[in-house]
Formats: sequence, structure tokens, C-alpha cells
Amino acid sequence: MKFPSPLSPIHDALLTGAAVWNSADSLPPSVSQFDASDPQKAALLGVADHSHLPRAGVKGPGATGWLAELGLSLPSRSNSWLPFPDGGLIGRLGNTEYLIEGNAARVAQIMQTPRAPGVYPVLRQDAVFALCGSRVNELLLQTCNVDFRCLVADPTQLLLTSMAGVSVLVLVAGNKIHPVYRLWCDGTYGLYLWETLTGIAEELGGGGIGLDALP
Amino acid sequence: MRLPPVPGEWLDRSVDVSFSFEGKTYRGHAGDTISSALLAADAGILGRSFKYHRPRSVLSMANHDVNAVCQWGDRPNVRADVTRLQAGMDLAAVNTFGGLKSDKASVLGSLSRFLPVGFYYKSFHTKRLFPMWERLFRTLTGLGKVSFNTPHIRTAKRYGFCDVLVIGAGPSGLAAALAAAEQGAEVVVVDENARAGGSGGYVRGGFGPQAEQLADDPLTRVLAHPGVRLMTETYAAGYYADHWVALVGGDVLTKMRTKSVVVASGAYEQPAVFRNNDLPGIMLASAAQRLIYRYAVRPMQQAVVLTANQDGYRAALDLAAHGVEIVAVLDLRLSSTASEPELAVKARGIPVLPGHHIVEALPGANGKSVVGAIVAGRGKMRTLACDGILMSIGWAPAANLLYQAGTRMRYEQSLEQFVPDTLPPGVFACGRVNGVHTLSARRLDGQRAGSAAAAHAGFGDARVITVPAEMECPTHPWPIVAHPKGKNFVDFDEDLQLKDFENAVQEGFDNIELLKRFSTVGMGPSQGKHSNMNALRILARLTGREPQQVGTTTARPFFHPVPMSLLGGRGFSPERRTPLHARHEALGAQWMMASVWQRPEHYRLTDKDRQQCIREEAMAVRQNVGLIDVGTLGKLEVIGPQAAELLERVYISKYANLKVGMTRYAVMCDESGVVIDDGVVGRLAEDHFYFTTTTSGAATIYRELSRLNTMWRLDCGIVNHTGAFAAVNLAGPKSRALLSRLTSLDLSATAFPYLALREGVVAGIPARLMRVGFVGEWGYEIHVPANQGATLWDALMAAGKAFALRPFGVEAQRLLRLEKGHIIIGQDTDGLTNPFDVGLEWALKMDKPFFVGQRSLHVIGRQPRKQKLVGFVLDAQFNGSAPQECHLVIDCGEIAGRVTSIAWSPTLGCHIGLAFVRPELAETGTAIAIRLTDRSTVSATVARTPFYDPDNLKQKEPA
Repeated sequence: MKFPSPLSPIHDALLTGAAVWNSADSLPPSVSQFDASDPQKAALLGVADHSHLPRAGVKGPGATGWLAELGLSLPSRSNSWLPFPDGGLIGRLGNTEYLIEGNAARVAQIMQTPRAPGVYPVLRQDAVFALCGSRVNELLLQTCNVDFRCLVADPTQLLLTSMAGVSVLVLVAGNKIHPVYRLWCDGTYGLYLWETLTGIAEELGGGGIGLDALP
Repeated sequence: MRLPPVPGEWLDRSVDVSFSFEGKTYRGHAGDTISSALLAADAGILGRSFKYHRPRSVLSMANHDVNAVCQWGDRPNVRADVTRLQAGMDLAAVNTFGGLKSDKASVLGSLSRFLPVGFYYKSFHTKRLFPMWERLFRTLTGLGKVSFNTPHIRTAKRYGFCDVLVIGAGPSGLAAALAAAEQGAEVVVVDENARAGGSGGYVRGGFGPQAEQLADDPLTRVLAHPGVRLMTETYAAGYYADHWVALVGGDVLTKMRTKSVVVASGAYEQPAVFRNNDLPGIMLASAAQRLIYRYAVRPMQQAVVLTANQDGYRAALDLAAHGVEIVAVLDLRLSSTASEPELAVKARGIPVLPGHHIVEALPGANGKSVVGAIVAGRGKMRTLACDGILMSIGWAPAANLLYQAGTRMRYEQSLEQFVPDTLPPGVFACGRVNGVHTLSARRLDGQRAGSAAAAHAGFGDARVITVPAEMECPTHPWPIVAHPKGKNFVDFDEDLQLKDFENAVQEGFDNIELLKRFSTVGMGPSQGKHSNMNALRILARLTGREPQQVGTTTARPFFHPVPMSLLGGRGFSPERRTPLHARHEALGAQWMMASVWQRPEHYRLTDKDRQQCIREEAMAVRQNVGLIDVGTLGKLEVIGPQAAELLERVYISKYANLKVGMTRYAVMCDESGVVIDDGVVGRLAEDHFYFTTTTSGAATIYRELSRLNTMWRLDCGIVNHTGAFAAVNLAGPKSRALLSRLTSLDLSATAFPYLALREGVVAGIPARLMRVGFVGEWGYEIHVPANQGATLWDALMAAGKAFALRPFGVEAQRLLRLEKGHIIIGQDTDGLTNPFDVGLEWALKMDKPFFVGQRSLHVIGRQPRKQKLVGFVLDAQFNGSAPQECHLVIDCGEIAGRVTSIAWSPTLGCHIGLAFVRPELAETGTAIAIRLTDRSTVSATVARTPFYDPDNLKQKEPA
């Protein structure tokens, strides 16, 4: 299969014979199904690549005002996030840093609007993974020293921590019974983290899955 | 022998387990440990001692000694007392020569007077004999055999979280867990045993219903409580700061983080010291009770019980209740308050001899059993026939974790025991480790500690619970009997006898830490669990001090030996891969780690060796065009009105005057003027700079710049785009022609001169391009968003076919830049190198108002140079072993410098290199001598750099 640019940071790890691909203009292709056992793996412990979504970043002392002027609702406190009503999310990574993801129109607006004083655009080329399944907490316990139950208790939190030695941002979506963790890392650590997470997931009965299997 | 079913036993008698030990097949039951199954089968001895190879059997039945340690295939040092029996186990005792039964090394026992304490150290005093002793000791010592073919077992390490961690699931621990959980805390209880209950399950004093109830009731409630998680077969191996506790269970190491800790780890029963106290059949009373109530094993037929507390009487009752004839109970005390167990013993008609001790145990054939005891008391000596002796003379607190947590302990005279004096915040102790021995009091003490721990964690208030004082001293202050013939063991792990301590003190090792190291007491695998307290008492008496004055040795993690498979289990070694990783892999990249990055060192070609590949790659760049992935470089941006000011302050050159669309080499120093990084600064706009750092420096430089910017409060911001951009360097005389096929940018020397920076589109991808010359050829560094890096690479490779484009790796790049005389920070510099040393004066703008390191460089600049980096060449005809990096430059027999880089240049046809030399040797044409590893020397000549294209004509348009 010939892929148009751009590509997910872990594109090459997803090139298995059984993978079913999804392509959309100007977005990296994504895997909708990894293999036929996706539902079973997702129930136990699934890891999916979510890197294909459009995203942008902005930081600086003028970032909050600049984003507000663009009409975005912003999380009121650091290390928290909000979903956009029309899809996607905005995360506040610190006092003056934001991540916008998943809403192509919003991302394009941010990337095309000229920067203002105190506004520093950030090119976001993250690897993004989604983790789900009944044994997901065991995977988190084996890779990170944060008690993720705090995220489930307050799902508006956005956590900056280290997982398997790599700096990651984590939030929890889904519900308390079936939480889905989304995590972002520098794209150049993506392959390492994918291999680490899916390796442990396989030991625990799960593995890599396509996006369609996510709850 | 195996008893009929015992209420509460841990066995599943419906499941037989077959295994072999020392070549003989045995059968046990599911639930047995190796030791219990062997004793149930009357297997006799279980091991040999470490030094004298004396026959040994169960001492503690809790692995508080190493009498029973096995080799199981490639697993050394399997702890037989506590390791569950598994079907098909093929076991052998460790440390034997010719098998357990006829261990040839047992001859060492008769040579013991030639092996005094400290003989290891004394042997090694003679340098000439050192190798012989080393060989001998290496042969004779050690426990299990390590197999170097054992595969790396990637055991899991995991984190755990709770509010209150209770260590020990005995009566006090269970009470603590319940109390904490009832206040709302999330509690985890860990216990090293297969089942919870602790001594409540096996110290019964017969079959009393009250004891049964006391043992079982809290456990049932704990198991039923939703706020308590019980982890059995798990031990707390070490305590670390902020209430991190390492838990070892099965194949998993758990790093438990808790808000408070309750240490209910109990106490180790201590052996009495008398001649032949290590004979098989002589064991701690608690070991016999464990055997009976957990594994339904009758440990002996006729027992002598040596005691100094109520526990010994309870043990006598337990044995008697299961068919063991109690020959006598010897009480070290002259008198005692008649306790309930003592009265019950007397009521059974068992002879009780107060004020008696054992002088000597009598060995059976070959010392493999005990057949009697010579006892003395009240002026008389007599011999008692028996096949087993129980020792119950006192306890030492299992306080290792408390010590590690920073607890100050004191010696409590009324208990003859160290107890916690000052506990750190969030650490609580209860039960025997806290000096509380009576069963009912231990439960109360547990409730008190559990409630306080929960309160500390933020759950409820600490309840006020009064714990009654002990009515009797549970431990005898001197359970030690000297004997002229010795063999009265204090440390069973290390075969240390009473006289060894006397000799050590006589030689001046009269401090507990010195004594430990000289005698090796407590240095065996059980880490002094059964020996440290007696050793301390002996030292105290020999030096006329109190135990408190002697003190204890430092308790360090780990509390028990932890399998190497757990310590060396799964580890995380993060590595970064550029977006072009798969492209390199497909081209046969040979990988190397560059900081945390995987980089192609060179690309392998069939039928060509590494050197050929590297030289061909270099020649391709010189003659045609090459492509290298430089995405590992740090890529930072600084934006804002004071962006130039920031760069002026952190780099040694000037950037305020850098024109938009141009780049400039950038060198960074630390405060002491040492060169720490370099890169290229490009100006995208008046208030916007894009700059690179070294591969290894990216993260630290970003951090440092962010720190400085925060401190200086400049009106600019720094963005780290290292991972966000893919980058390649397209270099070679044909690079411009190739690139022109993929971009509409004007690539003429006028429009895009050397060191210029342009933004444009390459292969349909928005890109930043820099005209750079690191490898000495016309070239372009092309930076694109990482997710389009592979597309760019593919486009360049496809277009490059017409130009004989060849990818090149890090080694070829090193060679090419060496030909050009460019330094690599970290290779051609070290932690003391300043810009003057490496010829970077031209970049140093001392007339700037300020930059980091400027003040130091003012001082350094006035001082005479100590070294200078120079180029050198070897004679073109040289064909011997070439020097390597770090080989020394020798002048008049003295070290005069060292080689930092060297390679054979296919372009120049000779070896070229860079070296630090003393300034007087730096003149071009000076002959220098380089000493090789084999101490031969090679002559070289100092040469001018750059070696290649010294006039930089390659960066200019041909006339």
C-alpha cells in the first residue's frame, strides 16, 4: 500500500499484514483494525495508535488571551483539559501552554492565524496512544509511578509524568468502569514506547489494536 | 514423619507432589515446602555448613538460617524452608563435594583449629601466596552455582499504592490492618508466608480452643474486609525514603508507595549457644511448631526442651500433644513466675529442671543426628537421651525495616531486647518487634498502631489504647555456654563459634562494625537474623559494656536475599528513533547509540567490510552527493523582542547583528569558560531564531536556556522542536543539482549563499534549509515536520539516483569533518576545554557586554596556555598499527597530550588526526610521538587544519 504523507511516528510498527487502514486527506493514515482478535484484546488490554489526529500547540504569556480571542473556551486551571463541543479537545499543559487536538478546523485556525506578541507556536508531532481494557491498570502500574485512580476520580485532570522512562501527558476518557487512557509523548520516543507498552500488554493477554476496537 | 491431619495444616493431602533431592525421589503434598517434605520423609540431613561442611538440618524452618539451601537446575540458593514444593523439582544441596551424605570437604571440620577467625585476611597478607589462596577459597566457598547460560528473565516490576501498609500478618499485624481499615484507610498487608496468621497459627500450647479462636478470628475478618488487600508469599525487602517499600513476591517486585507503614514483622527466635548446637535434630522451638501445625510433621520422637520463657513451655505442650515424648524441660532461669503453660507442662508430668543448661549435645553416627544432651544445673551434670532438642531462649526483633526507615532503637533491660525509641513520622511498630510478646497484648498493640497509622494517612483519629506491660522477660540475657572443645556455634551461616569472637576481640576488633567485618558474623545470606543478637551479647560481655553501648550494625536493604532475576528484571532504557529509522533499516544500517538516539553508524554492503563501507560513503560525498539523517540534532526556537539578547548572553559570538535569512556557528560555554555545546543559529525574522545543538546536548541546553530565561525575565520564549522536525544533510558537489529537482527555490550562490537560511518547499513539503559545510562540501541541511520526514527522504533518494546519491552514516561524517578540521564537542573537547584550547578565539567576542563564561574567559585569556588542539598527520607510507583516540602524546618521557580524533583519509591518502599537545609542540611541522597500547610509539607531524579544502573553495561558485 502506498501512503501519502504525513505518517504516524510509529507508522512502520503498524505495517502488519492483517492491519486495516483508514486514510483521510492531509491526515496520517490510521489503523482501524489491527487483526481479528482486536475485540478480545481490547476487552483485556488494548493499545491503539491515536497519532493521526490533527494537533497544534501554542505557548507564551500571550497564549491564553490569543486563544480566547480566537473564540476557544479554555480550561481554567493548569493540567486540565476540556472537550470542544464540536469534537476534539484543548489541554492546558501549564499556566501558559496549550495543546489543541482532534478538531481540524480549530487546528487549522490556530496554525494559520499570525502569532501575536507573547505567543509562540509549538509544532506538535506527538505519538499518541489509547489504552483500554480490564487490565489496563496493571500496565500502568508496571510502567509509571503515578496512581492513575486519581485521574478516574477527576477526569478533567491532565497529568504530566514519566512512563517507562519517557515524558508523557495522560488523560482519561471513557467512564469509571471502562476508562480509556490517552497519552502523548514526543514522536521520536513513539516507537520505543509502543514496543514497550504492547510488549507488556501481550504478556498480560492483550496487545496492539485498531481504533475501531476502542470502547 | 508425617502426622495424621492437623487442624489448620497448610497441606492439600489430595495432591501428591513428586520430586527428587540428591538423586533420590521423594513424595510430598501440595502445600509442603522442600524442607517439610524432606523431614516428613525422614530424609535426614538437608545441607552442609558453609565452612566446615558439617551436616545440617532444620534450624528455624523460616529461612532465618541457610542450613537448607538447594540448587534447582540453574537456580542457585533456593530457600528450602520456605519454597513451595513443585512437581518435578530436581534438587541438590549446595556447597558439597561428592554429595550431601559423603561430603569430602567435611574433613575441614577436623582442621578447624588451623582456620581461626580472620584466616581469610591473614592468608592474603603474603603476596606470593595470594593467587594460591584465592584459587583455593574460590573453589571451597560459595553456595549455589551460577549458570552463565541462564536466560534473561524479564520479570515484571510494578508500582503499588495504598494508604497503610502493614508488614507482617501475625496477630498484631492483622489487628493493625483491621483497625486501619475500619477507620476508612485502604490497607495492604504483606506476609512472607504462604498463609496469614503468623505465630498465632502455630504457637498454640496444645489444642486450646482459646488459642484457636485467637489465631483465626482476626484473619477471617481481615479476609472479609473490603478495605484490606492481603499479599501472602510476599516480603518487604527494603524501606526507602518517603514510605517506598520494596515488596518481593513470586516473580514480581512491587514498589509500594504508602502514606504510612505499620511494621509488625515480629521477632526471630534465637538459638542457644552450646557445644554441637548445630546437630540435625536441634532446632528452634518455633521451627518444631511450624513443622507440626503447618506441615503436619513430627520433628522428633524424644525431645529435650531448653527454655527461658513461656514460649518454651508452650512448645513442649505442642510437641507432647502430637506424640513427642518430652524428656525434660530445662529452664535457664533459676525461678520463674508460674505461668499457665508452665503449670500445664508440670500437670502433664513432664520433668521441669529450673536453673539448668545444656553443656553439650551428643552426636550420633558421623554427626548426622543428635542422640542425647549433657545438661548441668544446681551443681549436677547428667546425660539425657533424646533425638531432638528444642531451643526457646528468647527473641531478637525483626527490626531491619525500622532501622532502614531511620528509627532510633533502645535496649530495654526488662525485655532484654532492642525496641523502637523514636519512630520516624508515618512509621509505626507493633507486636514482638515493639517489645510486646503476650498474645492478647500484641493484638491490642496492633490496634493502637493501625489506628495511629490510619490517622496519619488522614483517616480518623488515633485511638488511645493502653497496652499492658509484659509480666516476664521473654529473652535470656546470656544463653551461651562455653566449652573447651568449641563447636558451640553463634553464626550457623558462617560457622562461627564462641571462641572466634573471643579471638577477634583479643586481636582488637572490639567494635561491632569491626567485629562483623573481621569475623564475618551476620554477613551470610541470613544477614544475622539468628546470630547478630548473640554476637552483640558476647561482645558486650567481653568488653564490659551494656548491649545499648555496643549498639547494632547498620541494617541495609535487602532484608532477605532477593533473586537476581527480580533485580535484573525488566528495565526501561528509553531510546529515540528519528522518523527515518525504518528507511535506514531497509538500507542495511549498522546502528550505534548516540546519546539516547539510534543512529546509523554506516550502511552495510554485501562483501564489503566496515572500513570499506565508511570510506566509500565518504568518497561519495566528496565526489558526488551524500545524504545523512541529522534529525538527532537539538532543534530549538527562540521567539520574541529579546530573542537576540538571549542568544547574545548564552553564546560566545554575536547574534544581534545576524541578518535575517543567515546562520552563524554558535559555541556555548559554562560559567567556568568550558566549552559545553555548539550548533548553528539561524535568523528567521527579527524576533525569531531557529538554532541547533549537539545531539547529546538538546535536552540539557533547552533546560538551561529555559532556566536562564526565567531568571533574566527576557521578553522571549523558547520552544524545543527537537523531536518535531526531521532533518537531513544533503552534501556533495552534486547536492545543488539534485535539490533543484525538488524545489523551486533559487539555489544560486547569490540567492542562497553559504551560511544562508531559507524557508521553502521541498518535494511538496514546507521546509527550512540551511547552507552548511560541516563535512566540507556544498550542502544543505533540510528540516521538515517529522511526520513528513520519510516522504522527504524518499523523494531525495529517488531524485538522487541520477546523481549516484549515497546515504552516509555517523562514521563517514566523522571522517569528513575531520578532513575539514571541524571539532566535535565531547570528542575533541572534554570537561576542562576552553575556546582558546581548541582554536575558537575567532568566535569569541569578548567585547560583548556579557555572556555566560565571559568573566572566566577573561581570566583564562590572560594565563599561559596549557594545551592546544592541533592537527597531525602520519607519514603517507605508514602501514603499521595506527594510534587510536585517547592514545598519549609523549615528549621527553612525559605525557604531553593525547589524540582526540584519528582516521585514515581516503581523500588525502594518509592518517590524519587531532590531538591536544603542549603549546611548545603545537607549531606546524613539529614531530610528535604517540604511544600505542602496546607501548610502542608512532611518529606524527603537526599539521595545519583544515586538511581538506583549506581555502573553503568548495563553498564558492566555481569561477
